Amino acid sequence: MASSIPSTQDAREILKKHKIAIAGIGETEQGKIPNKSSFQFLSEASKIAIEDAGIKKDDVDGLVTAFSLVEQTFMHCTTFADYFGLRPKYFSSVAIGGATAVWMVAEAAMAIAAGQAEVVLCVRGDNTLSGISSSGMLALIREMCHAEFEFPYGLTTPGGYALAAQRYLHEYNAKQEHLAAVAVTMRKHASLKPNAMNKEPLTIDEVINSRMIAAPLRKYDCSIISDGGAAFIITTEEKAKALGIKKPLVYLWGMGEGYSHQYFTSLADLNQIYNAIGSSGERAFKTAGVGPKDVDVAFLYDCFTITVLLELEGLGFVPKGEAGPFALEGRLEIGKDLPLNTHGGLLSQAHLGAMHHVVEATAQLRGEAGPRQVKGAEVALVHGNGGIVSAHSTIVLGKEPIS
Amino acid sequence: MSEKASTKSGSYEKPLPEFRPETKPYWDACKKHEFSLPRCKKCGKVFFYPRALCPVCMSQDLELIKASGKAKVWTFAIHHMGPTPAYKGEPPYVVAIVETQEGPKMMTNIVGCKPEDVRIGMAVEVVFDDVTPEVTLPKFKPVGK
Repeated sequence: MASSIPSTQDAREILKKHKIAIAGIGETEQGKIPNKSSFQFLSEASKIAIEDAGIKKDDVDGLVTAFSLVEQTFMHCTTFADYFGLRPKYFSSVAIGGATAVWMVAEAAMAIAAGQAEVVLCVRGDNTLSGISSSGMLALIREMCHAEFEFPYGLTTPGGYALAAQRYLHEYNAKQEHLAAVAVTMRKHASLKPNAMNKEPLTIDEVINSRMIAAPLRKYDCSIISDGGAAFIITTEEKAKALGIKKPLVYLWGMGEGYSHQYFTSLADLNQIYNAIGSSGERAFKTAGVGPKDVDVAFLYDCFTITVLLELEGLGFVPKGEAGPFALEGRLEIGKDLPLNTHGGLLSQAHLGAMHHVVEATAQLRGEAGPRQVKGAEVALVHGNGGIVSAHSTIVLGKEPIS
Repeated sequence: MSEKASTKSGSYEKPLPEFRPETKPYWDACKKHEFSLPRCKKCGKVFFYPRALCPVCMSQDLELIKASGKAKVWTFAIHHMGPTPAYKGEPPYVVAIVETQEGPKMMTNIVGCKPEDVRIGMAVEVVFDDVTPEVTLPKFKPVGK
């Protein structure tokens, strides 16, 4: 298997030449919203993002969507184009689980650089909490494990992450408190985010005494399920000027993917996960010409608390085994060393993959995050994770064009 | 994956494996209470799960070798909730990744001891659970229990 990272020079030149940027963001209400369909959320989020950019719907000539767990379709992007009344020149559906949202940014950028579109709408929305059927939920659980060699043993999705957590605790002598600290920080940040689903204060004691789901993971180690939509618009600096976009642009500086395994059975050791996270991050960092120390605000996939610890270490923010104490010391809070998921993340705000991570990163670099604003934020990193810490995607964003 | 993966068979309503042509010999051996692992005759790699070609060298010259049935727990998760309604009353149960003596890891259940007694590194050995007339699942129990 190839272990070297391809040259990032070409990617860097392309991003410098085109000055690809996020020019519009949109998010709907989030939480339990039983009276709206999946396609309504997609439409509302798209409308908000288009209005945020201050452009017309007809200015959009590219469309990247993901998938729906409720209204499953083989051609999600064109199904939505039909519903929304859009005739895109470029269209694609990205389906790499939680790695999707981050990679939508990269895919839109690549489509633009390859001359396929100029203004790409990226959108995801779903009524997962209110609309999913029991067979839909079962299909989701089964998607995470091998139907023939794993599912018959009763593996659940939290169970899959618990397998990773148990091994992590064993190898690094980490404690439940270290996992819990991530959940507590996310809740603290969600309390400052108007559309967050869970805002009541949460303590370490409450997390480590909450109901056991799949030991060592408890209720508050697991992300929430919610209804809602979010969208963003990708274009070039030149096109944004031509369209008269007034909002500050947030520039794409780098991107990368990293693959470890699909099925936990196929995982050799924790290093395999670290290497996948690391190669995803390294390619994004190298393209951007920055490193972990340059990141002012980070957005890491937090489907479970353990995921954040693995990502912090795999991306090189802290050495292996040290993310737990780092979190427990409060160093992931706004105003501290590495403000993380200032919107509250999947653990407390809403669960729509990393869509809100991208939206909030943009708000931070625009300086529009209100009470959550990280002072002087100029560089942000967003990391997505799909499967059971299987598939990884990273982008680095900057307040100024890549230089 | 088709819906058949969770087909009911008699009173057993938990998810069942749906055999593929290239995996059936493995399941046939399980039914005879023989624990086997696929091995590439070209490069010698012993691997899991069974596939139509070697995941290392792509050779299709494969065999099933009789395996020791000995393994060590690499990690585990004590499930307090099951994935389907058929698990009602079953939790807590242990889903584990075990490292077989021959090298490959596999997912299984640890049975024959209390969930809280399972440890990483614990020596375990295969036991066969005939869950339906067609399907036998290899599970593992602590050695000597």
